Amino acid sequence: MKIFFIVLIYFFCLNFEAKLKIEIIKGSEDLPDIAVVPFKSSLGRKFEYKVRDLINEKLTLFGEFNSLELEKMLSFPFDEESFYRRDWELLSVDYAVFGEIYETEGNLTLYYLVADIGLKRIILRGDITGENKNIGLITKKISDRVYESITGLKGIFNTKLAYILNPEPNKYSICVSDIDGDNEEVLFSSNSPLMSPDWSPDGNKLAYVSFEKGFAEIYIQNLLTGVRETIPTLGMSKSAPVWSPDSKNLAFVISMSGNPDIYNYNLKNKKISRLTNHYGIDTEPAWSPDGKKLLFTSNRSGSPQIFEIKVSNKRIKRVTLEGSYNARSRFFPDGKNIVFVHGNNGIFHIATRNLKDRFINIVTKTTLDESPTISPNGHIVIYSTKKENQGYLAGITVDRKSKFQLPVKKGSVREPAWSPFLN
Amino acid sequence: MKFLKSVPIIFLLFLISCSTQVSDSVSETIYTEVEGINFDEKDKIDTSLEDKVFFDFDKSTLNNDTKKILSQYVSESKKANIIRLEGHCDERGTREYNLALGEKRAIEVKNYLIIQGVSSSKIKIISYGEEKPISFGSTESDWKQNRRVEITLF
Repeated sequence: MKIFFIVLIYFFCLNFEAKLKIEIIKGSEDLPDIAVVPFKSSLGRKFEYKVRDLINEKLTLFGEFNSLELEKMLSFPFDEESFYRRDWELLSVDYAVFGEIYETEGNLTLYYLVADIGLKRIILRGDITGENKNIGLITKKISDRVYESITGLKGIFNTKLAYILNPEPNKYSICVSDIDGDNEEVLFSSNSPLMSPDWSPDGNKLAYVSFEKGFAEIYIQNLLTGVRETIPTLGMSKSAPVWSPDSKNLAFVISMSGNPDIYNYNLKNKKISRLTNHYGIDTEPAWSPDGKKLLFTSNRSGSPQIFEIKVSNKRIKRVTLEGSYNARSRFFPDGKNIVFVHGNNGIFHIATRNLKDRFINIVTKTTLDESPTISPNGHIVIYSTKKENQGYLAGITVDRKSKFQLPVKKGSVREPAWSPFLN
Repeated sequence: MKFLKSVPIIFLLFLISCSTQVSDSVSETIYTEVEGINFDEKDKIDTSLEDKVFFDFDKSTLNNDTKKILSQYVSESKKANIIRLEGHCDERGTREYNLALGEKRAIEVKNYLIIQGVSSSKIKIISYGEEKPISFGSTESDWKQNRRVEITLF
């Protein structure tokens, strides 16, 4: 009977499972040193360490901090009175995170503090209450607050990643998992290609392209109910859906007899308007954060380049001038910088650019990079690349202090799409 | 002996686990619908002609070799009910742009056949971009094979 269960579990695991665990490849020399102290609790030492580890794992997830090992700590403070700054100055720690846990009728309240050792003061004090079983979410929220108090950037530990999994040829799945790789969920599987996942701004829906009917069709899938719907429009080939920041519109590409152009679909009144009209290829739309402009890729000038269109008057302006291949752009949340795929002599890197200047920053070293997606706080880019015939995801912080990859055991993973901030 | 007895059960459960997976996925590859028309892969006409034509990187233009292959298709195409043209790209460059490029390639082939007198209404095109490579490596010889239009007559 035991064997039978093992075999069964094995087969279920074989069905999918990418489990994207972040591996840091390179951290900068001058990363801030943090110390996350076990949280004092009447629930026992094991629990104190567990809470500490959960917070520590999140804060160090993208390789942005050096974390002090527990064994090196000179004291375990839990409030301001038990905190001695000298203990941390001696260890050259920049920030100490500590606190305590109270239990009342199955609920936990976690008090937490962040001390800036250099500034010689407590920079954050907070508490959060929740059910014991939600300790994962509670520690994510604390990590977000701690991260923000140190970096000034909103934390992204309670976000998700959507991606396309290709476990074997002619098998495709669209998956969503927590940003740390936990809780992977398969939304839809098909024997035909799946492409281009894009999150609704409220994080409740995903738009993507599926070939299940033998042509490229856009589906909007509700993540809570699993219900899928299509868009009732003309044209057999629809692709590259992107949600407008106000959730009211979906821009995408319709190809009428081999001429792909960008259209805007009003999700409420179901009206569709054409944005570009050119015999060349127009595709890969991307909304500006204010919803007034779209970037898109066009080969109207001979090779793929990035253009910008104003939604109000449909005025078009060329954005990229350097290189033979600039495509699949996305705006950073500041609306001033963009990330895109930059190709030269058949080599493709991820690049960023400030829209005000002409300078292209190539941020990756691998050569088959594509589909960049930006964290909602604008600090990290995850993209897909390839090594030894296997597609995998990799990432980099925009200050280039940390590089990481998200390897998979089997098959290929591609087209990452970072969720918005979630509640 | 106990273990042997459970073998068929294991096998059965394996089948169930497989079939769950199949029922999750919507379409099987046996039937493909393009522009609302169902093709039965069994009705494929075997022409014994070269069923693929190839392209340069980021290009959809037909070269002389390609035109020579396509010209052999003209008489067969006129007899067939449906001519399916499937456009593909190599993995380089971006996926959505490649989807459009694959379509441009299929359109070029379609236009050539129309000029040769094949009825445009019989020609159905689809692009898979870089999603369905035939060669999975990352060298020029792999890429060369993947930048293609596949021609199937029904």
